[in-house]
Amino acid sequence: MSILEYNGGAIVAMVGKNCVAIGSDKRFGVQLMTVSTEFPKIFPATDKTFIGLPGLATDIRTLSERFRFKINMYKLSEEREIEPRTLAHLVSSTLYERRFGPYFVEPIIAGLDKDNQPFICGMDLIGCINFAKDFVVAGTTTDSLFGVCESLWEPDLEPEDLFETVSQSLLNAVDRDSLAGWGAVIHVVTPERVITRTLKTRMD
Amino acid sequence: MECLIGMVGKDFVLTAADTSAARSITVMKSTEDKSRDLNKHVIMLYSGEPGDTVHFAEYIQRNVRFYEIKNGIELTPKAAATFTRKELATSLRSRHPYAVNLLIAGYDVTALSSQLYWIDYLGSSVNVPFAAHGYGAYYTLSLLDRYHRPDISLDEAKVLVKKCIDELKSRFIINLADFKIKVTDKDGIREIEI
Amino acid sequence: MATTRLEQPKGGFNFDNYQRNVFLENKGIPVPKMTKTGTTIVGLIYKDGICLGADTRATAGPIVADKNCEKIHYLAPNMYCCGAGTAADTEFTTALISSQLELHRLTTGREARVATALMMLKQMLFRYQGHIGAALVLGGYDVTGPHLYTIHPHGSTDKLPYVTMGSGSLAAMAVFESKWRKDMERQEAIELVREAIESGIFNDLGSGSNVDVTVIEKDKVDVYRNYAKPNERGVKEQSYKFKRGTTAILKESIKDLVIITEGIEEMDIS
Repeated sequence: MSILEYNGGAIVAMVGKNCVAIGSDKRFGVQLMTVSTEFPKIFPATDKTFIGLPGLATDIRTLSERFRFKINMYKLSEEREIEPRTLAHLVSSTLYERRFGPYFVEPIIAGLDKDNQPFICGMDLIGCINFAKDFVVAGTTTDSLFGVCESLWEPDLEPEDLFETVSQSLLNAVDRDSLAGWGAVIHVVTPERVITRTLKTRMD
Repeated sequence: MECLIGMVGKDFVLTAADTSAARSITVMKSTEDKSRDLNKHVIMLYSGEPGDTVHFAEYIQRNVRFYEIKNGIELTPKAAATFTRKELATSLRSRHPYAVNLLIAGYDVTALSSQLYWIDYLGSSVNVPFAAHGYGAYYTLSLLDRYHRPDISLDEAKVLVKKCIDELKSRFIINLADFKIKVTDKDGIREIEI
Repeated sequence: MATTRLEQPKGGFNFDNYQRNVFLENKGIPVPKMTKTGTTIVGLIYKDGICLGADTRATAGPIVADKNCEKIHYLAPNMYCCGAGTAADTEFTTALISSQLELHRLTTGREARVATALMMLKQMLFRYQGHIGAALVLGGYDVTGPHLYTIHPHGSTDKLPYVTMGSGSLAAMAVFESKWRKDMERQEAIELVREAIESGIFNDLGSGSNVDVTVIEKDKVDVYRNYAKPNERGVKEQSYKFKRGTTAILKESIKDLVIITEGIEEMDIS
């Protein structure tokens, strides 16, 4: 079992028509023992950008705090909010700095830029960015999520349809992963609002 | 082989730790208190590598106290857990990391709520309604999941922790001599009998 | 301890986590997979310049991580570099050298030579003794004419008229060996590169999807992103949209980013 699978977890992000959605499960476990079902893995970076951090729980905590610090420092020195694309490179560089002693996380970034254009990207644990136009997945459920997203995603989904597609992709993929699930949360970002929904899921 | 249990009640936190100090296959002592008070309202239970545990617990205890003397503020359970987690996560990157698993329980006197944090030696920290560490967790978590309610009363909590200990006594191959049970609420930390 | 300080970027690698990870590894947990570009990359010299080619598949173990990534990296206006191996390493190594070349160009006031980029790359890779897993094909056109090199992760280099690298290098080289001629025409060269990459795409599992081509001539560069798409996905015949309300929700919270006010408010012009 890889270190990335020690605590379990799944994250998926998708692009819709002038909107993005990012969702994760809420399980925190130690191998096969579930310890908590209220463990957040998605963190707000700005009003319209989220970072998802699946992987080793201790690194999720450490990195979410470091990124919060870096994003605040960026805001103070630049006097503006960080763009999702810039954030992606900030995260990527932070990870690559530790090329020979990495943090065990595979971050996903999803948000709208200053022109409200959707942006999503995924990364491996040493910061190789994958700029996707459709969807990105990460965590222990990667394989199932790839399969289900590949067939369910379609271009130009409206926010409400995107929500259903992301939710159903996550829920169905996670049901085939013993290390993820036990509750889920989805954020849908549109130019006007951010909708956060906690899903009813199987609890087994 | 050690076992720590904790659960959050209506306006208290109940914690239990076994009292055996074992080395290899020998029980050296059966009245060990595996906890340290971080302040009047926060308690830390520890298990793990002998030596590391007490050293780390007292290191945290004194630094928390030092912070409070310096700033004149009592640390909330959340603040104490965050500080402790970071010390563990930093320690993990050193030559000799501390191998210590913790439960941090306490009563937040400003928010008027009781809190329980589960922290492992890697520095993973989670806020939970109930928790357990060690092999005992495999037996007790299912009981806690079944019988714990967010508004559980102290009397009910005592019954539940008794259930957990009885389960360990009847199913767990190791005989855990006894358990030290403590309650933390707005009046502070006190030991209780069940 | 780096996390406790208010940090300013210092540059260079950070080894803080190394010991921790060895400690975790010794507990019998294997190291996770990094994204590799299992790749076919090629380059050749023709009559007027250099033609570089690459496939667009990135893999993480057996999983295709990215179906259309870019492997031909910009180094300088007259130089491009194809990367194979550990994806993050090729990405960051070329970005680093690209930045150094830009500074070099500004301090000398001249266009950088391909040999300069080659030395920078090979000296960096040699310093890291192969731990930076970047296998590169470097091509460019400078005052001394067209140049084409391959650079291996340990820092060794070759200068050849036609080269291939990556897991699909054998398939691509087979094409070059049978069809490459001296002084080919531009279009001939592009087609040969396409054929070589397609040979990698279809015969090597680590390579796939589309063909990227970049042509570098004297004072002229053409980047053909997705020059050929031999693996286009069929159109979905049906929509797989879910009916709204399919997913059961426990809790909802909405954060409004735009404040909508009813009616027209008088503009304050005082």
